[in-house]
Amino acid sequence: MYKHIRKLIIVLTTIVPLLTGCWSSKEIEELSIYAGVAIDAARPTEQEQKFVEKGSKSFQKKDEITITLQVVPVKSFGSKTKTDSGQARQFNNVTLSGNSVLELMRQYSIWRDRPVIGHHLKIIVISNDALKKYKIGQLTDFVLRDNDIRPSALLFLSEGDAKDTLLTKNPGEIPAFKIQDMTQNTFRTNKILEGFNLTQLDQHENSKQSFMLQNIISANEHIEFSGAGIIKGSTGYWIGNLTQDEVATINLINGSTKGGLIKTYNKDGKQIVYEIKDLKSKMRCTVKGDDISYHVEIKSEGRLIENWDDKENFSEIKDQEEAEKILEKQVMKMIKSVMKKTQKVYQADVIGFQKCISIKNPKMWKKVKDNWDEVYANIPVDFDVKLTITDFGASTE
Amino acid sequence: MFTRSDDKITSTQASIFLTNSVLGSGILTLPRGVVEIVQTPDVWLSVLLGGLVVLGVIFVMVKLSQQFPGLTVYQYARLIVGKVPGGLLCSILILYYLVIAGFEARVLAEIMGFFLLEGTPSYAVVIPFIWVSTYLVFGGINSIARVFQIIIPISIFVLVIAYGFSLHLFEINNLRPLLSEGIVPVVKGLKSTILIYSGCEVIMTLVGHMESPGEAMKAMTVGIGIPALIYLSTVIVVIGGLTVDAVMRSTWPTIDLMRTFEITGLFFERFEFPFLVIWIMQMFCNFSSFFFNASLGITQIFKVSRTWAILGIIPVVFIITMIPKRINDVFNLGNDIGYASIIIFFLVPCLLSLIYIIRKKGLKQNV
Repeated sequence: MYKHIRKLIIVLTTIVPLLTGCWSSKEIEELSIYAGVAIDAARPTEQEQKFVEKGSKSFQKKDEITITLQVVPVKSFGSKTKTDSGQARQFNNVTLSGNSVLELMRQYSIWRDRPVIGHHLKIIVISNDALKKYKIGQLTDFVLRDNDIRPSALLFLSEGDAKDTLLTKNPGEIPAFKIQDMTQNTFRTNKILEGFNLTQLDQHENSKQSFMLQNIISANEHIEFSGAGIIKGSTGYWIGNLTQDEVATINLINGSTKGGLIKTYNKDGKQIVYEIKDLKSKMRCTVKGDDISYHVEIKSEGRLIENWDDKENFSEIKDQEEAEKILEKQVMKMIKSVMKKTQKVYQADVIGFQKCISIKNPKMWKKVKDNWDEVYANIPVDFDVKLTITDFGASTE
Repeated sequence: MFTRSDDKITSTQASIFLTNSVLGSGILTLPRGVVEIVQTPDVWLSVLLGGLVVLGVIFVMVKLSQQFPGLTVYQYARLIVGKVPGGLLCSILILYYLVIAGFEARVLAEIMGFFLLEGTPSYAVVIPFIWVSTYLVFGGINSIARVFQIIIPISIFVLVIAYGFSLHLFEINNLRPLLSEGIVPVVKGLKSTILIYSGCEVIMTLVGHMESPGEAMKAMTVGIGIPALIYLSTVIVVIGGLTVDAVMRSTWPTIDLMRTFEITGLFFERFEFPFLVIWIMQMFCNFSSFFFNASLGITQIFKVSRTWAILGIIPVVFIITMIPKRINDVFNLGNDIGYASIIIFFLVPCLLSLIYIIRKKGLKQNV
């Protein structure tokens, strides 16, 4: 009898430590989940300046960057932020200044009761201003190291304040999620880039090759995907922007176009619009001695979808071929201007020419990869564009 | 009918036992370890080549063990080289098993602490892990083999699913160019790809436990073939999905691959968690295998009772687990284990075979 009781006591006492619950569990309701981060060059908010006036002091604090966290969802933050329509906003943006990304994330905890957690970070927007002063590697070092933030988060640039891109006037809309989803629209337009995630950033950080990121501009709490910003691989600084049309052209050159259109004007100055159904681009590189040259062949099939000239009728093959010629000419013009901009103005191969040479001629690539941008600036590239109008839509006239 | 006390396992069980002894934490760091040395996308060739080399090693071990049916290396080593030298060789082997077991538990603790249970002290992760394993090892080789049989399909299933979903990141150009720097880096890569097969030494105890030792070579080839295939697909999927450049900058490349994509609309949105949780079971198998082999060795060499051998190992393994201070020490320990596996190969199966052949053929002795 006593023997059994002793056994029972031993069992019970060993079980007791297991009853304390999960060791490192944190209730999700007690955490602030942030879905978006915006990084700007330092500009402390009014609130922060008031704190300083009232005696907020930290010897460590030196304002170099301002980060904005988009926290979702706001459940019971005391008073809810109201928008014009009176509906509660689905998010709360908190802006903090300092000089370390992690420090600012932790600074949040001396402002609010629910500490932030990065598991659901979807987008990071960095302003061009910040990237003129600091390298992209410096600003993103923390997010690449952190264990909560997943490398699936997407990276964007912004002309103007990055924190403004995290605003919206539509109640019920969360800007971070919206921006993430907008990268999926490549099937409708070739003016935007596919999402650039943190793993790709890692890759470019290591290879030191230049790349471009989707640029976002904002006005009146609305945003637009507008062109792309170029990050110079060798330095990590932002060096300039490309327009929407230039991005569209780059998407034609490297074949990443999935949809979208080509618009041109006929001899009477009336619009002709061609919708891309299919596009393939073949890049060939030849090395003769020390000279590298490229040949790019772009082939596309599409539909003549809009015509503003009522005198023209595109049901005739002759007219279609004529239209193809005008369109091809337009594409060549766009390509020339992009090549000039990337080769001469910015000297940065953001189109992806390096891939061909690194695969086809690894020996040559080894020689040129450290100063590829300079080599690229002087490489002759000729283009062959072939557009085919396969049909003219539901209307023959 | 199902409770056996004869300590024999079938050929299938032996294959799975070997697979589980080789397949452990290596998969998590493998791509980076090899890429750092090879520097080109030809890593998968190194892994393949490593598998072939290890097949040769296995051949030696199996052939040697088959000369002594029903005996483990701990028993036949003394028959070949005598009591004291044999005991010495086997002690090295036991120490090696203990260190791998400790290493395995440590990597588990590191990953749990970083990705899953931040804030939980590593002892709280490691101690229950060792306890559960102790319970399993008390059951003998039969129970262990059965648990392995249950776990391996689950972990391979989850692995295949996770890799399958990562395929939309896969780009064949990331694996090109082929042999850009020739065959030299590929051969250099062998240095780290042979390491991932460390643990195959358990063959020398497995064959002795097989019901039909005649099938040993076939069973062991299958047993090493499964991890080789998994390692091969790991490097192909990880480098194809992340590129060589990104792999070099990643501490845990395989997990980072899964962290790079999200599947919306599925039961699981992110795959690193199911993968890690299942892979903990795989690491448990790996750990138990070495735990068992070490305890068996101690029992057979030092003539201690099994109970005391197993209980005595617990603190030793725990201390080994806690020795590395920094993560660099952990990774270095992993490399050292790899080198030790090469030394042990020459010291134990090679040396023993050589002496055996000399005594049998040269001196015509009856061993």
